[in-house]
Amino acid sequence: MIVVTPPDSTPSALYADYVDGETARVERVSLQLEVYSNSLILTRPEGGEIIWPLSDIREIPDQAASEMVVCTSINDPDARLLVSGWAVVAELRSRIRGFHQAGTQIGGQTIAKWALGAFASVAFIVFAMIPLLANQMARLLPPAGEVALGEATFEQIRVALGRTGMPAKTCNRGIGVAALNKMETALSQGLDLPYPVNLTVLDSPIVNAFALPGGQIVLFDGLLKAANSTDEVAAVLAHEIGHVAERDPTRMALRSAGSIGVLGLLFGDFAGGFVVLSLANTMIEANYSQSAETAADEFAHERLKAAGLRPDALADMFETMKKLGGDAKGIQAYFSSHPATDARINAAKAASAGMDANVTPILSRLEWRSLQMICK
Amino acid sequence: MAIGSLKTLFAGEKGPLFQLAFKTSLLTFLTLGIYRFWMKTRMRRYLWSAIVPGGAPLEYTGRGSEKLLGFLIAVVFLAFYIGVVNLILMFISFTVMNGSGGGYLLSFVGLIPVYFFARYRARRYILARTRWRGIRFGLEPGAWGYAWRAIVHLLISILSLGWLWPRMTFWLEKYRTDRTWYGDAKFTQGGKWTMLYGPFKHLIVPAYISIAIGVGLSVVSNPISLGMLLIVTIPWALVGFVHYRVQSFRILAENKSLAGLQFQPHPRSSRILGIYILGPILVSILAGLALGLLGGVFAVIANFPGMPGIDAQLLLQGGSIATWLVIGFGALTYFFIFILYGALYQTFVTLPLIGHYAETLSIMGAESLVQVTQRHRDDAKEAGGFAEALDVGAAI
Repeated sequence: MIVVTPPDSTPSALYADYVDGETARVERVSLQLEVYSNSLILTRPEGGEIIWPLSDIREIPDQAASEMVVCTSINDPDARLLVSGWAVVAELRSRIRGFHQAGTQIGGQTIAKWALGAFASVAFIVFAMIPLLANQMARLLPPAGEVALGEATFEQIRVALGRTGMPAKTCNRGIGVAALNKMETALSQGLDLPYPVNLTVLDSPIVNAFALPGGQIVLFDGLLKAANSTDEVAAVLAHEIGHVAERDPTRMALRSAGSIGVLGLLFGDFAGGFVVLSLANTMIEANYSQSAETAADEFAHERLKAAGLRPDALADMFETMKKLGGDAKGIQAYFSSHPATDARINAAKAASAGMDANVTPILSRLEWRSLQMICK
Repeated sequence: MAIGSLKTLFAGEKGPLFQLAFKTSLLTFLTLGIYRFWMKTRMRRYLWSAIVPGGAPLEYTGRGSEKLLGFLIAVVFLAFYIGVVNLILMFISFTVMNGSGGGYLLSFVGLIPVYFFARYRARRYILARTRWRGIRFGLEPGAWGYAWRAIVHLLISILSLGWLWPRMTFWLEKYRTDRTWYGDAKFTQGGKWTMLYGPFKHLIVPAYISIAIGVGLSVVSNPISLGMLLIVTIPWALVGFVHYRVQSFRILAENKSLAGLQFQPHPRSSRILGIYILGPILVSILAGLALGLLGGVFAVIANFPGMPGIDAQLLLQGGSIATWLVIGFGALTYFFIFILYGALYQTFVTLPLIGHYAETLSIMGAESLVQVTQRHRDDAKEAGGFAEALDVGAAI
């Protein structure tokens, strides 16, 4: 470190290192504070004086050496004066005005212009290009590829829903599985799906169900327990088969694969980044699937009728979820991919108009009980 | 000490650096990541100024706004590359190979040229914003030339099964060094690539023995070979890796020259290894203590009469204010520990590492420095934005 050494007996003489910003030569200058002109006078070793008015001097911020102050003058921003020693540093700091940041500040307009450009480019890619590509790709992807995509996605979801690092358990108590398969067979009879529907029940209290690429449909135990009748479960299942038939989950999976990378790019890795990232992505997914929900509902109405059931079983299920507080409000509503709107309840009721009130459920009472106990 | 020989001092201190790191990461969190450009700038300013060769500290003159702009520029191009190209690769992978592994591999391979490009650009920006004795450093443009050379060298290294790795280390360093300036004076990388084999043998030999033992184990399982692998050869290879990094840096720096200046670095592999091993342990213990403390507070709140129990799945269902309080406290704890860990890591790993490299560096022939004059400012408009966006800027 530079030590301020009094060169002679004059206590007022102080020395500091000076660089002019033109050559790499360090000059040992003597410092004098002229009170009447309010300026700092640097006397160079080879003679000559540099006069810095105190009002022009600025300190360079965030410096490590605490007993040193690095300053510059606003009229000579490439020059530096390195002053050491506690007393003189304190003295100088009390007289100079604020900090100097070297380099050029980028204007707000330039930043705004590029921010707009970046925003537009990201929005175009995430909301136009990726969905467009995903739609085309979902059509072109061979069924075996879809099944593989579904399996990869399913494992990620199981891990995400699991507790204490263990993936969520799947339930497969024999009689319940048979009942579930019976229900699925009845609903998908005569359908020309590119792959068989593959049902899984996950041991989780969440009241929901979702479809994955490649014909995978996942029901949560919470939904089976909450449902009031076998018809309500059948309605949900028919709705999810509708998504499968339309390849909605494939589009969604491809779309989120594309947008996750872009969002990660935007948010960087602040505070793990992951939380905001996954939340934001779920929002996109939910937005995306809204338009497909109506189509899946209509599909479900048809399938239920074909299986000899009333479409308003779907309305009953929505009512059940509503009663459970599943009709999410506020923040939660954004994250729910199955909003139970009154419009959808009314549509299901309208589809049942003129039908017999008494229909035969797909499952017997015993089968229904065993389905509800599939996770025990 | 001979005339014209400059010793380097290190003025960095743990307390002030921790304060700066913690404060700026907190601001980054509160601004949803936007402050990170200013955080990086301020951290660099501090760390640069801590390196004091011959009594004059380095100065970092980059600006946060400049980094933000560079990032925005990079986003415009990279969003397309990452979003669309990744999606196409994933599609090909699922169509042809029925699995995502191929897609991830392809998209990783596809990013390699961008990675090298970004590294060079970031170095150019950093050097253009570094000053010593008031004089700017600089790096000539040449990021694409660097990227394709790097890929060719990488392929040669892979095809030679690792044996020509030092050749890549040397030629890439030479490419960068021969384009580096201090004021109007140019750096030159001398020496030969074969000089790196001294430290390299401690990496390649144990790596080959480990692979041989691994292959043997896959045929016949044998507890003695397994022990050898886990206790001797793998740790030897890891130590060898650090040793190679440190000593290849030393050898390369000894063979650099700049307008009559010579460099004498003496970094010790043992010290660097010690920081890499003990630093993270210390950081984890400190962060763990903080987590334990907060966990205790959390348990008291959660078990307070009228509060719901902690059940992740029930919490997912949402509900009462009490539930949200528990979730909020948990989330804040997570972020706090994340920020604390980062700041402690800078304090107990990054700072000592830079400190050791700084303190063991001497510069000879400093009398010729008086000849060096200023160079023009390099706009480097993109400001390392690609490296920033791809997160290849390493620790600082």
